[in-house]
Amino acid sequence: MSCAIIPNPYIPSTLSMNRRVVITACSAITPIGYGKDAILESLLHGKSGVSPLRDDGLLTKHIHSKVFGSVDYPLAMDFKRHFRKTMGPVAYYACQVAKDVLEQSGLSQDFITSGRLGVAFGSTHGSPTVQRDIYKTFFNDLDSKFSSIGAVDYLRSMVHTTAVNITRMFGITGRVIASSTACTTSSQAIGFAYEMIKFGMQDAMICGGADEYDTTTVAVFDNLLACSVKYNETPHCTPRPFDANRDGLVVGEGGGAVLLEEYESAKKRGATILGEIKGFACNNNGGDLILPNLDGITATLRIALHDASLTPDQVDFISAHATATKMGDVIEAQAIEQVYGDKPWITGLKSYMGHTMGTCGVIELILCLYMMDQNFIAPTLNLEEVDPRCNMLRHTRELIDARSSIAAVQNFAFGGVNTCLLVKNGRDALE
Amino acid sequence: MTREELQDNILSILIDDFEFENPGLDDNLRDDHNFDSIDAIELLGKIEIMLGTSLSREEKEKAMGIRTINDILDYIEQLDVMRNNS
Repeated sequence: MSCAIIPNPYIPSTLSMNRRVVITACSAITPIGYGKDAILESLLHGKSGVSPLRDDGLLTKHIHSKVFGSVDYPLAMDFKRHFRKTMGPVAYYACQVAKDVLEQSGLSQDFITSGRLGVAFGSTHGSPTVQRDIYKTFFNDLDSKFSSIGAVDYLRSMVHTTAVNITRMFGITGRVIASSTACTTSSQAIGFAYEMIKFGMQDAMICGGADEYDTTTVAVFDNLLACSVKYNETPHCTPRPFDANRDGLVVGEGGGAVLLEEYESAKKRGATILGEIKGFACNNNGGDLILPNLDGITATLRIALHDASLTPDQVDFISAHATATKMGDVIEAQAIEQVYGDKPWITGLKSYMGHTMGTCGVIELILCLYMMDQNFIAPTLNLEEVDPRCNMLRHTRELIDARSSIAAVQNFAFGGVNTCLLVKNGRDALE
Repeated sequence: MTREELQDNILSILIDDFEFENPGLDDNLRDDHNFDSIDAIELLGKIEIMLGTSLSREEKEKAMGIRTINDILDYIEQLDVMRNNS
């Protein structure tokens, strides 16, 4: 009796090992605005999205840092209850930006539910708001005869809540990757999605990340002396990446999504090409879980260039991770100098909105796409006096009119995880 | 509580908390109102609060066969009967 191999309907019989991957839609909810027009307005006018920390009635009074990158404008997000019931605030952000990219993309419903579209989406730790409510209920109602922890509280709070609420809302049946690696959550999601498509496992992926307003994260960084505390009365003056007077990061919130597609099929269906993912690297420092590591980060940048088959001089500008912590910026500056010298422009986009945690990678990628489309590079805000240990780089200190072809997006996370994405201008990708 | 009062209370819960539009007593909860097993668990929690009594696991499991609003009303009325007989 012969044993026939059963073909997997979701995987092409001939795996193509080096397909081009393009970005055909994007959307971001950020502290400096929602959507391209609002975000460009802030970037072009140097507007900060950092605000006073809101009182949460629990931790705020114990936290020294009183600033936060807040989404403090109204958002409709009028999903039906059938979808809302499994969503905490973080999933609202995720589903809204996913909805935006699907609407922009013009993908057919048949394709969306075909199994050839997957989701790579994450958050730092699901929904801390819902988790906090569960504990409040648990401790307050210990003697109650009724169970008041909701049936859906786990679905609303779990670490992969963003990814699977997206699949549920749109009927997506492809692969799910729910990365959760703190500050590299969404850059990993994009990188892994890029590899899924490049190696033929999926034809398109919705990818990105979201993180909601959460004082727990601020408390954690505050306790590590990593949060900004000197500018509590002037929130817009912090964070200050690479500045001599920087004093730490500012936690923020938001959500962002990009749609990645295989190039030939995107071109064939007439999709708008916003950019091309040329390369991706992800590694680990293999040691300390907090301290930045020069060797690890330098290796990440080199691996990404190798993956993209690019030389350092081909990269026009770098969106640095640049959280404005004392050592993180110095180590990143040293790594950039070792790999790139002083040729590419460097910008620290967290200076506009703080550190949106799991979302920062995708938001910074989207900002790079916008800047490449509009032919400018936004300066690092609050960079008044460059730290002498970081001054070997070509810092962007005022808005620059520049036509860029290749940008690098660098992100590094607690746990020693490093990522780098190399992206090409959408116009050049078509050539 | 009369069946009429019970019906008013349940309809209020379904309209206010579950956002039912124009609920009919014999509508199929799943097909007509997207009411799923998660909603059923949530509804049981609200029934407990409404009745001022907690439901046992066996009593809750019996609710999993409910298909219509009339079934919900029958279920609550039968709870009383079952408890009196046990």
